[in-house]
Amino acid sequence: MTTLVEILVSALFQGSLYAMMAVGLALIWTTLGVFNFCHGVFMTLGAYVAWQFVGADAWGLPLAVSLPLALIAVAAIGFALQASVVRPFVGRDDIVLVAVITTLAASSILENGTLLVWGPRPKGLPPLVPGTLVAGGIGISDHQIAIIVATPLILGALWLFLNRLRLGLALRAVAQNEDACHLVGINVTALYGLAFGLAAALAALAGIFFGGFKFMSPSMGTEPLSKALVVVIFGGVANITGPILAAYIIGLFEAISTYFIGFYWTPTLLFVVLIAVLMVRPEGLFAQRTRGLA
Amino acid sequence: MKRLGFLREILLILLGAAALATLPAFVHDSYLRHLLIMVYVYGAVAASWDLSLGYGGIFNFGHLALFGVGLYTYGMLTKLAGLDPWLAFLAGGVAAMLAAAVIAVPILRLKGIYIVLVSFAFSQLVLQLIISESDYTGGNSGLVRVPMLKIPGHNMVRDNKLGFYYIALVLLLLATIFLRGFVRSALGKSVVALRDNEEYAVSRGISLARQRLVTLAASALFTGLAGAFYGGYFRNASTDVFGMGLTTLALSMVLLGGRATIYGALIASFVLTFLSEAIADFGAWRPITIGALIIAVMLVYPGGLAGALVSAGRRLTAPLRRAPAAHPVETKVTP
Repeated sequence: MTTLVEILVSALFQGSLYAMMAVGLALIWTTLGVFNFCHGVFMTLGAYVAWQFVGADAWGLPLAVSLPLALIAVAAIGFALQASVVRPFVGRDDIVLVAVITTLAASSILENGTLLVWGPRPKGLPPLVPGTLVAGGIGISDHQIAIIVATPLILGALWLFLNRLRLGLALRAVAQNEDACHLVGINVTALYGLAFGLAAALAALAGIFFGGFKFMSPSMGTEPLSKALVVVIFGGVANITGPILAAYIIGLFEAISTYFIGFYWTPTLLFVVLIAVLMVRPEGLFAQRTRGLA
Repeated sequence: MKRLGFLREILLILLGAAALATLPAFVHDSYLRHLLIMVYVYGAVAASWDLSLGYGGIFNFGHLALFGVGLYTYGMLTKLAGLDPWLAFLAGGVAAMLAAAVIAVPILRLKGIYIVLVSFAFSQLVLQLIISESDYTGGNSGLVRVPMLKIPGHNMVRDNKLGFYYIALVLLLLATIFLRGFVRSALGKSVVALRDNEEYAVSRGISLARQRLVTLAASALFTGLAGAFYGGYFRNASTDVFGMGLTTLALSMVLLGGRATIYGALIASFVLTFLSEAIADFGAWRPITIGALIIAVMLVYPGGLAGALVSAGRRLTAPLRRAPAAHPVETKVTP
């Protein structure tokens, strides 16, 4: 019983972080048709900017104020990045390739910028909710519980936004038919910025979650980015529900495999399953319509 | 260049290599020689990547993992199995080709961004395997005191890197001839045909899966050998080569040089290696400068340095032509 609860908590917790990251990747992919390798750095920036606001040896603001400020700041960075290194290439045949290299270059700039501004010393953020819940012989930190509860709510809100609100519907319309959007007077350029800003804010939130239980470093975004990549391969990038489901499935898979097979062999096993999935469904498990797959 | 016979092209390549072979007579400084060695190693890696990316249109994001496979094959075979360094060096190339075949299998039917994702996942897998099998690979701390490559009857240590200079030069020379030969052959033409018009090429009987496999394996050969040389030169193997830094550097060599040229990657390797060394003292400003440079070139010259040269040439000769040239046929790369 204890084992089962531990595996479930670990699955939900990791799944939440993966989902938070992967959704942003999918959002950018569907609207702009590019893959954003800056996504890991958005996460890093979220954690560091939040630290700047909240840190005891920085400005020392309360977390409730710092968190939204950090999200807005990183969303603004995401918007600026999109305008400078992605939008100039929209409409070119080889935008996928060019965007990979420009976002990679930008992520190198931002990561080293983080190093210059905040230094290499590991930092930590206060947990969202302090304290630990002890029940039935196992302890779970309240921070983890908060993340497990908050993530589905945030992702649910995002789903409602994309499916019910005019602005969200416009975003999806751009994803589906850009030319028609121009015809009916939708401001496509602004929506590109919105998609990038929103994705950056989601990644930043994941970074703040992360900084609450592990030490932050300028390269902390690399590993979550590669996990998010695996998630979107599994779930497909054509909509946001696929990656969300895939994130929790992978979280569960990893928790089970880590417990029964071992921490070191889990990534290998994951890759084998990944290949099997791709052989059967090259566009991901849950994708119906895909962009860029001819 | 296009009407040049292959034999004549080989002759020119050999002439270029001969010119480079005389360089050590003027360059005695072992650090400068070291830089040139790095130019040749990165050149071989980037030019090989140009084969799969530029000519094949296959965006293998795990290209540097092939380099890592060559490096670790060399390190483990020489250090743990006690194999002769030169045999281990060759084994590095073979192992990289096998690894490329493993990448090729899941992406045979994939397109576009999914190839990037899967090959990236593959490179992460290789990294994870190396970290987890620390009994053999040294894990996170890597392999140290790997036996070095030796030329019989020559002292490799006190020659100001002369021996390594020539090994690296020969490696690059063979890589260039191999890659140029590949892209000029009928096989190379069919690979380009698949890139430019897949449906038509397939309808003419070219096998997409087989050609992809061959392209990736060919791009792995000299990448793996370069990795093995890297191990035999630095005498250690570490997981740093799997980091984003080296991938970004090699990829920018391919793109800065201009895709589907082979030579562009070599020129860019020279420029970027020296540039990155010139600003080595700038610490974190170095990757920032290089990143900004990459973005700037991509914004201004989408065709890379080679494209910049071509467009400059076109502008110079434009007044000489009577009628404006027909719109240049641009081959499109959809990775």
